[in-house]
Amino acid sequence: MKQRLMLRLMQCVAVVLMVGTLSFALMVALPGDPAMRIAAGRYGPDMMNSAIADQVRAELELEQPLAQRFVVWMGDLLRFDLGHSLVTGAPVVDEIGLQLGHSLMLALLAFAISLLIGPTLGALAGLMPGSWMDRTTLVLATALRAVPPFVLAVLMMVIFAVTLRWLPTAGFGSWQHLLLPAITLALGLAAMSSRVMRDAMVRVTREPYFAHARLKGLSDRAVVQRHGLRNASLPVFTYLGLQLVYLVEGVVVVESIFAFPGIGHALVHAIIARDVPMVQGTALAMGGLFVVLNSLVDLGCVQLDPRLRRAA
Amino acid sequence: MSALIEIEQLTIKTADGRPLVTDVSFSIHAGEPFCLVGETGSGKSLVMHALMGSLPDELRCSGQIRYQKENLLALPAAQRRAFWGRRFALLPQEPWLALDPTMTVLDQVAEVLLALEGMPLGQARKLATTELSVLGLGDNLLSYPFELSGGMAQRVSIAMARIAASPLLLADEPTKGLDKALCQTVADLLLTEADAGRGLLVITHDLDLVAALGGRLGVMRDGRLLESGVTEPWLKAPTQPYSRELIAAMPQHWPRPQTKVSAQRSEVVQAQGLSKSFGDRHLFSDLDVTLREGEVTVVLGPSGSGKSTLGNVLTGLLPADAGQLIWPESASPLKYQKIYQDPPAAFIAHQTLRQSFDDLLALHGLEPARLNHLLSELGLAEALLERRPSGISGGELQRLAIARALLLEPVMLFADEATSRLDPVSQKKVIELLLAEVAERGLALLLVTHDPALAERIADQLIRLDQQPTDAAAQQQAA
Repeated sequence: MKQRLMLRLMQCVAVVLMVGTLSFALMVALPGDPAMRIAAGRYGPDMMNSAIADQVRAELELEQPLAQRFVVWMGDLLRFDLGHSLVTGAPVVDEIGLQLGHSLMLALLAFAISLLIGPTLGALAGLMPGSWMDRTTLVLATALRAVPPFVLAVLMMVIFAVTLRWLPTAGFGSWQHLLLPAITLALGLAAMSSRVMRDAMVRVTREPYFAHARLKGLSDRAVVQRHGLRNASLPVFTYLGLQLVYLVEGVVVVESIFAFPGIGHALVHAIIARDVPMVQGTALAMGGLFVVLNSLVDLGCVQLDPRLRRAA
Repeated sequence: MSALIEIEQLTIKTADGRPLVTDVSFSIHAGEPFCLVGETGSGKSLVMHALMGSLPDELRCSGQIRYQKENLLALPAAQRRAFWGRRFALLPQEPWLALDPTMTVLDQVAEVLLALEGMPLGQARKLATTELSVLGLGDNLLSYPFELSGGMAQRVSIAMARIAASPLLLADEPTKGLDKALCQTVADLLLTEADAGRGLLVITHDLDLVAALGGRLGVMRDGRLLESGVTEPWLKAPTQPYSRELIAAMPQHWPRPQTKVSAQRSEVVQAQGLSKSFGDRHLFSDLDVTLREGEVTVVLGPSGSGKSTLGNVLTGLLPADAGQLIWPESASPLKYQKIYQDPPAAFIAHQTLRQSFDDLLALHGLEPARLNHLLSELGLAEALLERRPSGISGGELQRLAIARALLLEPVMLFADEATSRLDPVSQKKVIELLLAEVAERGLALLLVTHDPALAERIADQLIRLDQQPTDAAAQQQAA
């Protein structure tokens, strides 16, 4: 396990190096005069003139040679100095701290809902392979997975916000605002985890230990509860690690559509405004979050499966 | 003594009326083991499941199974299920697979009491602790099944059966997959239960186990009970021709092979000073082995002693830690073929055998006629190829595996426990075929086994790997 966590730590370092380098390259490769662009961003295109641009250039030391700027850039990064937003001028850390909290709330809620729906339906389908339950969930899961999240998000908006008027279309402020984006994300997640759970359950019911648990006198219910669910949930739990990719991706899309002020929303806006320090900060936060959550999944797997625990 | 179970004219048919078991009648008495013997597919497991009430729904049963004056076959399924654990306890085949890999041994035994008697967990655990300690597993209460040896897993399943105090024990192939050396131990455990006044039905094709258990037995073939009677005289003087065949198939009854003329034979592999260990498990060191054409070399040892590893090293499948291996310069690795222990695992499950063999022929540019010739030589009907691996018997599948290896005209065959999962008659057939190939083609045969009787019967050269017994190894691991 120590090895595994060391590996995760190294992944963290790799994320920092890669995001840092890429962000720097982006900064350099963007067409046009960066100083003009930044000045326009800060003061509005109407106010912008070459004097102001020169001022910005001097302030941000954009004149220095490439290699030197790269060293300074990475040095800041390694001291966890993420710099200031080119647009608002506020420290990136502060902005991200706020948005990350919102996004985490959304992501956790989505995750919780998906775990409530996915594995439950999957387990039921897996206990009755070939039943209407199994076939219905297969069709639903395939459909939900085939539809890209942004289409799903718009669909949800049309149904629940516009037609039924149960929930607000977009925005932020109350728990109702959280619900639609969370469900949109959760459905995509549940679509996959339900199938993983279903297949795992089918496999477990064919295991000799499942049959023997019945033969030794346990009721069907006890067999499923005591021997079915834990064994079937092992692959599902491992799969959660992979699902985090979908979650990170989904957060960006869903937040943008529902105008939810989280880190994904911030990333998209930073990209549009070419606010590279913000892009770097948000990308780092998301990458770091991915690694941290994966480490938690690792720890959970070890807790769940005694074979891994004893090997640790 | 009145019978605990009386089975009368039990017939089991498929939904479309094909009989699988016909007119089987016998009775089981408390305190006396009853063994049902026969080859795979003889219907002996079906009889046991009919008694248990755990046959697949699509099979139809007729006849009578009487327990306490009641015909079980007339009872509704739910009522029969209520007997599971309480009245009839089943010792599963290969118990290490029948234990939940993610639950401690203690809890798996205790939950029987939870389910059957609604006992609180604490009390159930206490009783389970006592039961496991009696069976010598006091140090392994919190072990998981993967930390147990085969013999220990067997004892855990016996603890489950004992704790429910059910009057009848049904043991399904209790020595399958275990070392021959453990056969007597398993017999002793079962006899203890019988001596405690329980009924005991043992399904097996292991005649060593039958001999150790004594009691009475029934011989089944093609769904019929050929004969039944007291075990001891039957072993000495069987009356039915099939029974004679069964007994003759025990390796200790095989005819001694004629001693071969020791002509000048060339080596197929020469090894000097071989050593191998996995982690801190030391398997063998400083071992010299030479395999020659036309010779049978047997590696004998308990499981975990490294005998399969030695075979893999000699065929070049695994590197040795130290030592020198010399293969003749002309020999390509393809000429060193391996035959695996579990035939179904060595074939692709969802393909017909024809497809698998066609792919092999195409890959190596071989003539289909060669395959046909080999099949007839090995006594296999060509029609078998149209089926999938699950559709034919283990013995036939193993012979197909041999045909597959022989297609490549090997100079050496490595048979890794190649017959340990087959019934004695099939085992004898497969070994005879291998020996015939050795004599005819001048192959070198390396056979790995844990059966001393088999080893002694066929070996020209015997290598013993005596490592610590598996129980001790597993205990160390658990500690």
